[in-house]
Amino acid sequence: MSEDLISIIDQKATIELTVDDEKVSVPEGTSIYDAVIGMGKTIPSMCYHYTFNPFGSCGVCLVEVEGKKAPVRSCTSPVVAGMIVRVDTKTMFDARKKAVEKHLQTHPLDCPVCDADGHCELQDMSFNFGITQIGEVKQKGLPEDRRSTVLDFNMNRCILCAQCINICKEVVMVDALQFFKKGGFTHVVAKGDSALECEFCGDCLAVCPVGAITNKFSKYLYKPWQLTKTVTACNYCADGCQMRVEVTDHTVVRVTSLLSWKDKWDDHAATADGHGGLCVKGRFGFAYINSSERLKKPLIRKNGALAEASWFEATAEVAKRLKAIKAAHGPDAIAGLITARCTNEDLYAFQKFMRRTVGTNQLDSSARYGHASYCAAMEHALGAAQPTVSFHDVTFANTVLVVGSDVTETNPILALRIKDGLSNYHAQVIVAHPVRTNLVKLAPFPYTIAVGSEGAFVQGLTKAVIEGGLVPQRVASEHPTATAVLQTAVASLSWEALESATGLSRETFAEAAKAFVSGERRVIVLGEQIVNRPDGYQNVLRVADLMLATGMIGQPGSGVIRPCEENNERGAVVVGAMADRLPGGLRYDDPAARARVAAAWGGSLPSGGATLAEIVDGIRSGRIKALYAIGENPLGTLPASAGVREALSRLELLVSQDAFLTDTGAMAHVVLPAALAAEKDGTFLDGHGRLQPVVRALDAKGEARPDWAIVTEIAQLMGASLDYTEAEEIRRELLQIVPAAFDAGPAALRDGLDGEVALRYAQPAVAADAPSSEYPFELSLYQVLSHSGKMSTRDKGLLEIDAKSRLQIAAKDAESLGVVSGDRVKVSSPLGSVEVRIDVNGDLPHGMCRFPEHFNDPAVKDVLPMWVDPVSKAPAFKAGRVRIEKVVP
Amino acid sequence: MSLSAALNKVFFGEIVKGLGLTFKHLFEKSITQQYPHTKPMLPDGYRGIMSLLKYDDGTERCVGCALCEIACPSNVIKVVSAEEPGRPLNRYAKTYTFDVTRCVFCGFCVDACPVDALAMTKEYEWASENKRTLFLDKDQLLAIGDRNFPLRGKKPEYRGSIEGDWYLTAVKAKAYPKQAEKP
Repeated sequence: MSEDLISIIDQKATIELTVDDEKVSVPEGTSIYDAVIGMGKTIPSMCYHYTFNPFGSCGVCLVEVEGKKAPVRSCTSPVVAGMIVRVDTKTMFDARKKAVEKHLQTHPLDCPVCDADGHCELQDMSFNFGITQIGEVKQKGLPEDRRSTVLDFNMNRCILCAQCINICKEVVMVDALQFFKKGGFTHVVAKGDSALECEFCGDCLAVCPVGAITNKFSKYLYKPWQLTKTVTACNYCADGCQMRVEVTDHTVVRVTSLLSWKDKWDDHAATADGHGGLCVKGRFGFAYINSSERLKKPLIRKNGALAEASWFEATAEVAKRLKAIKAAHGPDAIAGLITARCTNEDLYAFQKFMRRTVGTNQLDSSARYGHASYCAAMEHALGAAQPTVSFHDVTFANTVLVVGSDVTETNPILALRIKDGLSNYHAQVIVAHPVRTNLVKLAPFPYTIAVGSEGAFVQGLTKAVIEGGLVPQRVASEHPTATAVLQTAVASLSWEALESATGLSRETFAEAAKAFVSGERRVIVLGEQIVNRPDGYQNVLRVADLMLATGMIGQPGSGVIRPCEENNERGAVVVGAMADRLPGGLRYDDPAARARVAAAWGGSLPSGGATLAEIVDGIRSGRIKALYAIGENPLGTLPASAGVREALSRLELLVSQDAFLTDTGAMAHVVLPAALAAEKDGTFLDGHGRLQPVVRALDAKGEARPDWAIVTEIAQLMGASLDYTEAEEIRRELLQIVPAAFDAGPAALRDGLDGEVALRYAQPAVAADAPSSEYPFELSLYQVLSHSGKMSTRDKGLLEIDAKSRLQIAAKDAESLGVVSGDRVKVSSPLGSVEVRIDVNGDLPHGMCRFPEHFNDPAVKDVLPMWVDPVSKAPAFKAGRVRIEKVVP
Repeated sequence: MSLSAALNKVFFGEIVKGLGLTFKHLFEKSITQQYPHTKPMLPDGYRGIMSLLKYDDGTERCVGCALCEIACPSNVIKVVSAEEPGRPLNRYAKTYTFDVTRCVFCGFCVDACPVDALAMTKEYEWASENKRTLFLDKDQLLAIGDRNFPLRGKKPEYRGSIEGDWYLTAVKAKAYPKQAEKP
């Protein structure tokens, strides 16, 4: 246990007891079970799991306590001073054996058809206790509950250990399951005995020690011993979960979590680095890997149509045409885009290919519209582009401020850390969000703010902190000028303006500020609604001001976390796959860093460069003739107003390298099939700074190859000395150039920042357009729990769970428009209009509507404007004002 | 040399004795089997080629549990299981392949089978010029079972379900098992 952990857990008096003639001291309140486990002994049990409080339902963990006639359930009995406990005795073995026999009396012996066969705690127990006779058998004969989309509940097999209910209630805090007595038996059912409608994280499935809960997507398709299991990283969001991909015959059959009934012994505090569970995307979104829509062979456009070709032809074609364009128009006629879902090795190989082989700095990754605003602003303010807090810090934070983030939907595992702090470590959680999100419903300080006023909320909080005299003495003495400047700057903000912008009163700000500074360790979670807005860059600077005012800079355990949507956005910045970044995450215009990279590569680096929006403009103006897009689909991501379709049609060469044929791929001249994360080796850098190993779990579909291998081959055909044979070589090269590439640097207030603070506060607090009578609704594109980007919409499992491409509107607005869920409405903006079905959502505020960004049918994104930040060059295209009219059928 | 020994020599006594034994066999029952014109009698428990069995109503016994696959010491069997289309909750072997060329006829698979779906027949005439004919699929194995075991066992009741509101109605109708109605 680390130092700070010990300080967190209250020091309790120790108690001495005797276990099997051995003296042991444990803190007061420990259960006998934990005391015995702590000695390195084991007591068999079926309902115990370290992630939640002991429940005591299985009756197997029996021990003998002197002075008590009957055996005692050790997990629920606290230790008493001077207690004499006997664990390893023949009597206790028999008592435990009897308890297991009792479970077997009601358990059907349908092991041959059960999916848990071979991975079943009851089987293991029966074997270990040598049970051959089970006495009178009482079979339940119940039908299987198949009402849920994802999970099947077979209550015949259930041993009523309640692990599923407890993990759902105490760890995931969704509380979707309950015991329900009907027909003379206790069942585990969804709340209200209806079809299960929850987050479908599947942690209940993971902890079920028998086959009572089974996975519908892989039902009866396997026996555990038939599967080849590989632990690799999930490639949906940036929470960086490790998961087991289980494969047979080149098909992913299921994905399981490291959380399981098998790993049950640990300290609850160990969950601070993650409890090992997964979310719905990780656990049930694996079908896209097996999809028949995957690209299996390279395609080359011949006579206007894409035709299958061999790798030899395809890479030669790309190399030949890139070389010709470079010779005719210079290297700056070529640009490259890469997705942040690629591994660090892919990203590094690609940026080196673009900069060294092609000789241009016109490259960008999808971290541009995700992580870039945050990085640019934080580097400017604090000198550290990357978030410095980890999972651990979030769990043990005294206060957590969540702004503009529906974190339970976008990054569910990070949300579990906040929930853990909330329920077990007395964290003060402050949530500011226009929508009544799941976290708003749990948090002690929920604030419903006006749509788009997240920046103003942060400013108001800063003002309340400074004017309430809550600035720590240490800050005023360490940064006297900065504090003074900030003080005068916030004085220029009027409370009236902030109140009208956010919809919160001055007293509310004072309350929030008091709650925020109440603890030492503070974590701010910045979601995409505050960072990826037109004023996102400024918003992050405002957060830096709040950090300064409350003394968070340099405070251990304090900092900002930016939950990214794509798994390797942080990696894309660190590896330098962006026009303004060098390998190691160094700034591209930093002369010392340029010299270091240039020396390592043996040559000079190209000057200039273009980011995503500039590349699109360059193509449209005819300056850029060739685009090499890896996993990126600008046509499907950017709104119509960005003019991507027109731009792409002007290209002389468009290469799309993807696992699927995307909209962009359909326009491409050459399409190269790429391997998915489960099919290659490498690393991801997750949103919390952990380097996650990515291990190949199965062979790539068809002839698909890892991105770095394709890039290397094209580079070699173009005559460059890019020579890698495995992913590790690429990583080694990066670490040779920048040994600390994957570490977040220390954060400290940058000199000279004071000057611009005043300027920043001279601007109006809210940059969002005011509601007008013509366009009264604020439309935003949002992320839903079961999807991530566009990739998950290729997954038939996740589509089965959620394929609702519907516009959500508030109940009040639905009433005034005279529409109900399922009706069609016309959404129009100055940029166009689109017809879409609606869904009424009671949690949305009046005047707000939202549409899942993952679906392009109908293309709601096309009515939104695109706005590019002048500093970070990050395009913001997920919000805008619209008018909604009912469509009369 | 005695008289009897001399007479033996004169009248080729040993030869007569030997031929006597030979001619005696002319009047005994023959023990040479004229295979393939006559087939041998095989003992009970003879381990010939493997077969898959069916129930009396013609449905397969196999539930696709793959225990035979794991019990097999020489990787003969490959089972791919799935939920039977049209019969929810019924696990079956979608494909069942049996590579006779590798089989050592140990019978472990038969022992492992929890539903007695596997049996070893007394068939042994599987010599072939083409080894590929020795990769048997499920239909071939069922056909072997059909022709060797015409008497089939009774099928236990199918406790499957149909989609719809069956769960609620079935559970509501359910009392303790003693009073339970058959679904």
